[in-house]
Amino acid sequence: MFEQQLFNGLTLGLIYALIAVGYTMVYGVIELINFAHGEVYMLGAFLCITFIQALGVPLFPAMALAMAFCAGIGVLIDQIAYKPLRKAPRLAALITAIGVSIFLQNIAMIIWGSRPVPFTRSAVPAAFSETAFTLGSVNVSGLQVFIYALTIAMMIGLTLIINKTKVGTAMRALAQNATAAALMGINVNRVISFTFALGSGLGAVAGILVGMYYNTLSATMGYNAGVKAFAAAVLGGIGSVPGAMLGGVVLGVAETLGAGYVSSQYRDGLGYAVMIAVILLRPSGLLGKSVGQKA
Amino acid sequence: MKFKRALVMACAMAAVLAMGSLALAADVIKIAVPSPFTGSAAGYGDNVKAGVVMKVEEVNAKGGVNGKKIEAVYFDEQCDPKEAATVGTKIAGDKDLVAIVGHLCSGAHLAALPNYVRVGVAALSPTATNVTISDKGKDAKGQYWSFRNVYLDDFQGTFLADYMLKQLNLKKVAVFYENNDYGIGLKDAFVKQAKANGLQVVGEEAYMKGATDFTPQLTKLKGAAPEALFIAGYYAEGALIADQAKKLGINVPKFGADGLDNADYIKLAGPAADDTYLTTPFLAETAGPDAKAFIEAYKAKFKRDVDWMSANAYDAAGMIIEAISKVGPDRAKIREYLASINTKEKAFKGITGLTYFNEKGDCVKPAYVKMVKGGQFVPAPKQMTN
Repeated sequence: MFEQQLFNGLTLGLIYALIAVGYTMVYGVIELINFAHGEVYMLGAFLCITFIQALGVPLFPAMALAMAFCAGIGVLIDQIAYKPLRKAPRLAALITAIGVSIFLQNIAMIIWGSRPVPFTRSAVPAAFSETAFTLGSVNVSGLQVFIYALTIAMMIGLTLIINKTKVGTAMRALAQNATAAALMGINVNRVISFTFALGSGLGAVAGILVGMYYNTLSATMGYNAGVKAFAAAVLGGIGSVPGAMLGGVVLGVAETLGAGYVSSQYRDGLGYAVMIAVILLRPSGLLGKSVGQKA
Repeated sequence: MKFKRALVMACAMAAVLAMGSLALAADVIKIAVPSPFTGSAAGYGDNVKAGVVMKVEEVNAKGGVNGKKIEAVYFDEQCDPKEAATVGTKIAGDKDLVAIVGHLCSGAHLAALPNYVRVGVAALSPTATNVTISDKGKDAKGQYWSFRNVYLDDFQGTFLADYMLKQLNLKKVAVFYENNDYGIGLKDAFVKQAKANGLQVVGEEAYMKGATDFTPQLTKLKGAAPEALFIAGYYAEGALIADQAKKLGINVPKFGADGLDNADYIKLAGPAADDTYLTTPFLAETAGPDAKAFIEAYKAKFKRDVDWMSANAYDAAGMIIEAISKVGPDRAKIREYLASINTKEKAFKGITGLTYFNEKGDCVKPAYVKMVKGGQFVPAPKQMTN
C-alpha cells in the first residue's frame, strides 16, 4: 500500500511540477508572480476538449493545438496586462495578475458553463484506463505511464532549451540582470514573450493531463492548481526551474502520504506545512540560490 | 475630451435606465433568489434558477398575480457564508423584495438568516437540508422566518443507513464526507444510525469542496474491504470518488443523498456511476400529471433532464407566489400565510408532492430511492416507505 500511495503521489507531483515551472520561469525573468497561470492551465484543458468535440480533432493533435493556443494566450496576457506595467511598482503588476485570473475564470464560465464537465471519454485511448503493468504491489495504469513519459520528456526538453539554446541563455541572462542583458543586445521583450509562451504551453499540457486523469474539468480548476503550483515553486526556490520540478514532486508526495496516513481532512494543510517547514529551514527554498541571483 | 463625452453619455444612459426601472417598479412584485451563480457551486445555482424561471414565466404568462408581473431578482452568493451575509443584508434592506426563495447551501442560508429574522422577511429554501437551521430562524417573538420544502439531513442519513442494512443486507460501509455543514450533518446522522443498527463503519474520510484526488483515502480503505461506500457530499466530488474507486478495483455499491442527485453525476463518473443509490425528494416516475407536464417543458426549455433542485425551487417559488396572490406583497403577511400551511389538509400541492410546515418551518416529505443502472437514473427496485 505504501508503494501505491507513493506512486500516486509522484504522478500528482509531476503534474504540479509542470505547472510550477511556468510560475518560476516568469518570476525568474520579470519578478512577477503570474497568478493567471492557473487559468491558462484550465484553458488548456477546455480548449483541448473543445478541439476534440467541436472540430473532431484526435487527442494528440488536439493536445498540441491546445498547447500552441495557450502559448499564444500567455504571450497575449503579457502584452496586454503586464507589459504596460513593466516599470510600475511590483504590487501593481501582482494585482493585475489576480485581475487577469478572475477575468479568465469568468470568461471560461461564460463559454463552457459553470458546471464541471467530463473529459471526452471516447477520445482517450482504451489502453489509458487499463492497468499497464504491476510492479510488486503497485498497479500502474496506461495513463500514468503516459503522464510520466510526457512530463519527464517535457522537463528534459525544457532543461535543454534553458541550458543549451541561445534563447535559453538569453533567459538566464535576463534573470541575472535585465539592464545588462539589454545592453548586451538581447531583445528583452522577445525573450519575455518566449518565456510566457513556454510556461503557458507546459501549463496547458498539465491541465489536459489532469483533465484526463481525474476525468473532470471545471472553470474554477485553475485556482487550486495555481496555488498548489505556486507553493511548489516557492518550496523549490522561486526562480529556479529544477527547484520547481523538485518542489512539485515533494508537494504531491507529501499531500498524498498525508491524506493516506495522517488525515484526509488536512491533506492540503499537510502539503503546505511541508512547504513552511522547508522555507523556515531554507528561506530561499530547496534549490533556490541566495539573494542576488534568480535563475 | 473624448473620454469626458463618453462619461456624460454613460451617465445619461444610466439615468434613463434608472427612470425606466422606476416606472416599471409599480407594476411588478419582486422576489429575491439568492444562490451561487458563480464559483464551484454555480451548477446548483443554475438548477434553482431554472426552477424559479419556469414558475415565474408560467405565472406571468397567465397574467401575473392580481394584474402584476412577478420578477425574480437573482443574487449571487457563491455558496459562501461571507458573501451570503453581505447579500442577505442587501436583500433585507430592499423593501421591494417581498420574500426569498433561497438560499441554496445550508452554510449560506445560516449566514444570511439573521438579516431576514431582524427585518422580518420569509426565506424559503428549496434545498438547504442542514439540521441546525431549524433553531436559527426564530425572532424575539418566537416567530420563525426560515422555511424549507426539503427534508433534513438527519432524516436522509438515518434513512440510508436503514435502507442499506434492511433492504440490501450490506454489513460494512466506508464513509466519505465533505467537510462542511451539509456533509458533516449527513455523515453524523448516518453513522449514528449505522452504529445503532449494527452496520459496521470501516472508515470516515473527510475532503474539501473542489478536491479532485481521492486515491490516497481509497487506497487506504481498500484494505478494509468495505461492501458499500457512502458519499455525504455533492455530485462533482462524488463522481470522482466513484470513478477512482472503480479504477482501484473497489467495485461496491455507492450511496448518497440529495447532493449526488444530478444528471452530471453520471456524465462525470461514466460507467463507474452504475450501482449508485440515492435518496431523492422527487422521482419523476412517481410524480403526478402536473409534474409530467413540468418535466416535458423543462426538458424542452433547458435541454437537460430535470433534477430535484429545479423541481423543489419550482415549488418553492410556487408557494411564495401563491402567498402573494392570497395576502398581497407584504413581508409579514407572506410569512403568516406560509406558517399557516401546517397540516396535510392545508398542504401546498406541488410537483414534488404535498408540502406543509411544522412550527419550525421544516417539512415532512417522503424520500424515494433511485439508482443508476446502465448510465440512467431509474427507481430502485426496493423502496422503503415510512
